[in-house]
Amino acid sequence: MKNIVIQTTQLEKKYLTDTIETTALTGVDLQIAQSDFVAIMGPSGCGKSTLLNMLGLLDAPTAGNLYFLGENVTKAPERKRANLRRQNLGFIFQSFNLIDELTVQENIELPLFYQGVPKSEIKARVQEVMQRVGIAHRHAYFPQQLSGGQQQRVAIARAVVGKPRLILADEPTGNLDSQHGREVMLLLSELNAAGATIVMVTHSPADAEYAHRVINLFDGQVVTERMAPAVAAI
Amino acid sequence: MLKTYFLTAIRMLLRNRSYSFLNIMGLALGITCSLLLFLVVRFELSFDNFHEKGDRTYRLAIRHEADGNSGVMASIPGPITDILRQNNPGLEIITQVFGEQDGQITVPATANKPARHYREPGALGFVESDFFRMFSFGKGNLPFIERLQEPHTLILTQQLATKYFPDKEPVGQVLRLNNQLDLEVIGVIPDVPDNTDFPFKLFVSYASANELSPYEISEWGTVLSNQNLYVTLPAGADYKEIEASINRIVLPHIPKKHQDLKSFFLQPLHDVHHNEELFNYSMRVVPMEVIWAMALIGIILLLTACINFINLATGQAIKRSKEVGMRKVLGCSYRQIILQFLGETFLITFAATLLSVILTEISLPYLNQLLELKLTFSFVRDPLLLVFLGPLLVLVTLIAGLYPAYMLAGLQPIAALKNRLNTQQVAGLSLRRVLVVLQFTICQVLIICTLVVGEQMAYFRNKPLGFNKESVVLLRLPAGNATKLVSYKANLLKEPAIQKVSFTMAPPTSIIIAENGFKFNGSSEPMPFRSHTKFANEAYFNLFDIPFVAGRAFTASDTIKEFVINETMRRKLAIPTAQEALGYKLNMAGKDGIIVGVVQDFHQSSLHHELPPAIITSQLSAYYYMAAKIDMNQKEAAIRHLENIWNKAYSDDVFNYEFYDETFELFYREEVRQQTLFKIFAFIAIVIGCLGLYGLISFMVAQRTKEVGVRKVLGASALDITILFSKEFVKLVLVAFLFACPIAYYLMQKWLEDFTYRIDIPYVAFLIAGIVTLSVALITMSSKAIQAALADPVQSLKTE
Repeated sequence: MKNIVIQTTQLEKKYLTDTIETTALTGVDLQIAQSDFVAIMGPSGCGKSTLLNMLGLLDAPTAGNLYFLGENVTKAPERKRANLRRQNLGFIFQSFNLIDELTVQENIELPLFYQGVPKSEIKARVQEVMQRVGIAHRHAYFPQQLSGGQQQRVAIARAVVGKPRLILADEPTGNLDSQHGREVMLLLSELNAAGATIVMVTHSPADAEYAHRVINLFDGQVVTERMAPAVAAI
Repeated sequence: MLKTYFLTAIRMLLRNRSYSFLNIMGLALGITCSLLLFLVVRFELSFDNFHEKGDRTYRLAIRHEADGNSGVMASIPGPITDILRQNNPGLEIITQVFGEQDGQITVPATANKPARHYREPGALGFVESDFFRMFSFGKGNLPFIERLQEPHTLILTQQLATKYFPDKEPVGQVLRLNNQLDLEVIGVIPDVPDNTDFPFKLFVSYASANELSPYEISEWGTVLSNQNLYVTLPAGADYKEIEASINRIVLPHIPKKHQDLKSFFLQPLHDVHHNEELFNYSMRVVPMEVIWAMALIGIILLLTACINFINLATGQAIKRSKEVGMRKVLGCSYRQIILQFLGETFLITFAATLLSVILTEISLPYLNQLLELKLTFSFVRDPLLLVFLGPLLVLVTLIAGLYPAYMLAGLQPIAALKNRLNTQQVAGLSLRRVLVVLQFTICQVLIICTLVVGEQMAYFRNKPLGFNKESVVLLRLPAGNATKLVSYKANLLKEPAIQKVSFTMAPPTSIIIAENGFKFNGSSEPMPFRSHTKFANEAYFNLFDIPFVAGRAFTASDTIKEFVINETMRRKLAIPTAQEALGYKLNMAGKDGIIVGVVQDFHQSSLHHELPPAIITSQLSAYYYMAAKIDMNQKEAAIRHLENIWNKAYSDDVFNYEFYDETFELFYREEVRQQTLFKIFAFIAIVIGCLGLYGLISFMVAQRTKEVGVRKVLGASALDITILFSKEFVKLVLVAFLFACPIAYYLMQKWLEDFTYRIDIPYVAFLIAGIVTLSVALITMSSKAIQAALADPVQSLKTE
């Protein structure tokens, strides 16, 4: 039995405006185990990103429970969430979200600073991860000087440098052409093979092929969950 | 970590150059103004605060009251000093000071150098040796001060010692004062500092004063504003008790004819620079209200700059939101974000402070010139400046930076990352509106005040004064020696450029005011009120165009013979008509004469004061000035001729002249200064306000990019979009106007109360302030609004 990294029970998220109540998620039960590679799919507006934000402790559910490493964090205060994010989570976004004022190296160093890793160690770890994602030769560049694929490599490097228990990727290839998209997915696969747990939101069935499990959402509910062909064949 | 914050901040500032420039410039302007005003306020508050015994030193002043009119004065008739010395009520030091307005020093000729003459206006003080025991001029023990008790002795300041005797030991040398008195230099002291109301450079023994003054300064009847008495109380003494003792001792000695002197009070030394009712030797009184007003303006300008910063910083929030969102996703805490942005604000404030130090350095000489001050700015000589700037830096960082920092730290990470900020999340668009309204209120109040002060000044300049001050040259005559020039009168008038000549104690409006008691209509008792007396020769009325209501000018005489009175005096004497006043007997200074003329009232001091009752009469020995009416088209010829005649009459005296209408401006020096300050700071407030407005409009344009795109897709023109944004600002300026009007009205009403002759507040000033701020706001705003209006709608819609 693998360790459970994150678990949800009857997770629900409603948005309330002055007159309208919108249900983004309802009754979501989910378990993500260590070394899992899970793809979340579904049409636009089905609640994929909302679920990912909840799993990433960036948003709080309106009902149900969320357990992170066995601990109920449903109502954890922002300070605690920030701490959990810092120590355990890595994020990859469709639009990369690199800080424009920092170089490649400085962007990747950032999570380590927040974790309080000693300076001497930071340098070595950043060097290593830059090598791994093949961006070391661009370490002094600013994000705007890189191609989309290179920027996403930097974002991935930033997501993994802190050795997180869980990597959350929100349409990581959404802004890339197919060639760069494939490279990024191979990189994520490699990371997963090396032990990283990944939850990825995607529209792309091709990208989903890289995952072990595919969860389909529709109108905020899990409609199907299947093992990916690659995994099922094993 | 600090390094990344620092790098992010620096790179952010460099990338958004216009934003950084606006921010740093706005803050630098605010800090510069507050720094300059701090220097002015500190200087004005530092007057005579360096005397060791200063906190227990007082000036004796008198309350006088006669015929329902009351007032205070610091002029002490000589006998009071003697009475206090004989019956000392426990005073540690008693010393009298006599400051002379003008004096000429002659350095006698030597074997290889001719005699040299120097005019030393305002630099002459007649003092006793105790003066140096009371006041800390000169350091340590000054053994020579004892000799100051002897007549004909003199102490020089270093500056004058070097000027008079550049190549020899000054002590033991003799200087000649006003071609009358030989004075021996008995010592040299360091120059007195700029922040003293005893701006003397020549300290002459008090015992010599009587020989020089045309008045008997040791008599009851002589009340001269420049004759003061200072006392130092023993440590720990209760000044109220001493004051009561002084009254008990002195009042019974006051002669019957000086019964208008009602009581005595002790004026603290630190009050001498601030009390408008009493005179001081530096001729510059700065009331505490003016000082507080300056401090307040400094604080307001600083706040305006902070408001400006808040507007600009929050306007930038959208640009920074992605960064903040990402930092939060990476686990950055709320506190860390606040510290990061406060750090950035500190960096900007620090840069602004450095810039303001440079700006202060550059602008100080101009300010000194405008305000006629001698302010200095040097961190080395004045480490206290760091004590001012250090806390200011922290305070400005907190005031300007806290709100934007809290706002950014409070962003929801997901919304921030996706640029989905709405007005609630970038909390307080309404707060920023309030801030802009506040800025514009300040601008408009300052503009209105500037205009009203300017109007009042124009009113002063243009108000009929009851005489003509144009084309009049004044020559200050050597003390007590008008006779020589009078004998040259005929020669003077030979030059066609010189039209009229008169000799007088003072021109019609002057700082020299003589008040005399007098007897009326043969009475043996003096009248219960004093007269403002003008001693002048018969040509005075004609030269200054003072019109007669009845009678004529007095006939030529070297002594008091006939009198001319003004209309106020006639009314005070209860004479029904001017015609009836003619022939009445008056007695002044023991001399009888009759009233031969009544003139229209004319102003004798600044328009702060009411017209006093006046008597004009002849007295050759009291003429201080020669006034010459000249043809301004032949100005040079007139001045040349005057100088030639002067040099014949007074070969040992320096020729010195001034145009009366120019010296006239001195009366309103303080008001002109205030107007200058208002002008400068109103302008700066407007500049800072515009920077803030630019910040707000940038924010609004950024926030409404999508709306603008949609509107354009639906067919809105660039003009429609510009109007869309303009409406908002017109509203803000109008709201500010509603606040500014009553505030400015109240302030100006209060300010004008100080003038007996004043304007009604001109309503057009309010209108101008409104229009100016509205125009400036629209111009500032339109560039940004047009930019938004002309932007490609496809691009703006893509950002979503």
